[in-house]
Amino acid sequence: MILLDYHNRIIEDTLKARFHPESKPKPVDMSIVDFDGVSYHLATLDDQDTKLALSIRWNCWSELVQYGAMDVLRRDYKQWIVESEQGYDFTLQFDLENIGADPEELIRKVALLKRNAMAAPFERAFDAQSLAEKEDNWDPSSSQLMTIHYRDGEAIYIQNQQDRVTVIFSTLFKEETDRVFAKVFLQEFVDARKKPHLQNAPQVIYSHREPPLEIRHAPGLLDSENQGYITFVLFPRNFAAGAVREETISRIQIFRDYLHYHIKCSKAYMHSRMRARVSDFLKVLNRAKPEIQASEKKLASGRAFRRV
Amino acid sequence: MCLENFSSQVAERHNKPEVETGASKEVLLNPLIISRNDKERVLIETSVNSLRVSIAIKQADEIERILAHKFTRFLTQRAESFVILRRKPIEGYDISFLITNSHTEQMYKHKLVDFIIQFMEEVDKEISEMKLSLNSRARIVSESYLAQFN
Repeated sequence: MILLDYHNRIIEDTLKARFHPESKPKPVDMSIVDFDGVSYHLATLDDQDTKLALSIRWNCWSELVQYGAMDVLRRDYKQWIVESEQGYDFTLQFDLENIGADPEELIRKVALLKRNAMAAPFERAFDAQSLAEKEDNWDPSSSQLMTIHYRDGEAIYIQNQQDRVTVIFSTLFKEETDRVFAKVFLQEFVDARKKPHLQNAPQVIYSHREPPLEIRHAPGLLDSENQGYITFVLFPRNFAAGAVREETISRIQIFRDYLHYHIKCSKAYMHSRMRARVSDFLKVLNRAKPEIQASEKKLASGRAFRRV
Repeated sequence: MCLENFSSQVAERHNKPEVETGASKEVLLNPLIISRNDKERVLIETSVNSLRVSIAIKQADEIERILAHKFTRFLTQRAESFVILRRKPIEGYDISFLITNSHTEQMYKHKLVDFIIQFMEEVDKEISEMKLSLNSRARIVSESYLAQFN
């Protein structure tokens, strides 16, 4: 599994089991977590267990709303939106007796709830870019720098320019090892684009510690050895309206998780490798020990026993 | 490796590896450094009843440094089963072995030498292989991510 999925697998599986026409309604109360500190709460409401509510909580929700998340969510989940549950930011409610014509499609959409909420600032930037492109004398100062503090100490910055949209991730590496591994990985991201078959991919720029020019004035930047910045330069061909745009949004969002996932994977791999190597060494060392012959001894009765 | 049982001259009824205590100078022999270059070297210190071999592993860059550090830590944490491994490397080196007369009495000397030689050969190989695998993994990961954009 090299690539990560965009949707939440637990939500998908749970809803699939419940939305199935032959399954009986059962009570449920689940807390589900997702990447980037998102937590969901999935619970049945009434005694019949036919009403199912899914709530989401995310630290950066207010920022997402500010960048138009509600419009995107209203477009995708119109009839399911209800008053949000206490302690959560957004709630969807489903009636199992009336889930519409295409439950599969609904499940797919619901499992992408986090992704869709995050899509709002991306869509806004893409739209702003396509407007700016048509203007002859576009004023650079009208471009908006959108900041989403989606994790503690980490943020995504999205800025539209006349001919492109830049997405900047600031990411924090908790460990020295992570930082060094990340450097190797990100260097490969930068180099990989030079391959002829990857020419269409967005340009990736990596800078360590030093924030890129676009966000240098932004408040709250951490100046620490563990801080890294990854810039994606998206050109209009990367976000042509329709399927391409949706895919790009999903993919960029998953980038941080993808990177960290693979860093963790390589660490695990190194670990298992070292384990194997250490047991090899141990074998070599044990060869130095002369084998003690376990001689058979006999009791008075003539029964043999072996001293352990 | 001609080690023999030798009781401490300083404290009665003590029997310590003299190379570690260094309490009586006359039982210590001249230490010996064999080095390939500044970074890769082996220090052998000998005494009447013990012998210490310290190895500095090649660390050309940040990645190798981290890998070497992780690897040696991994080994020293298992010092219990590696009877001749010192829990802490001596300063300036990455890993140390301490062989005492009881080790040479219980084990074959030539096999102990084999072990140390094999260790030195393989540790470099292992680290460079790990580094290569990290690089190739990074390449595959980045290419498969970026290839999605086509």
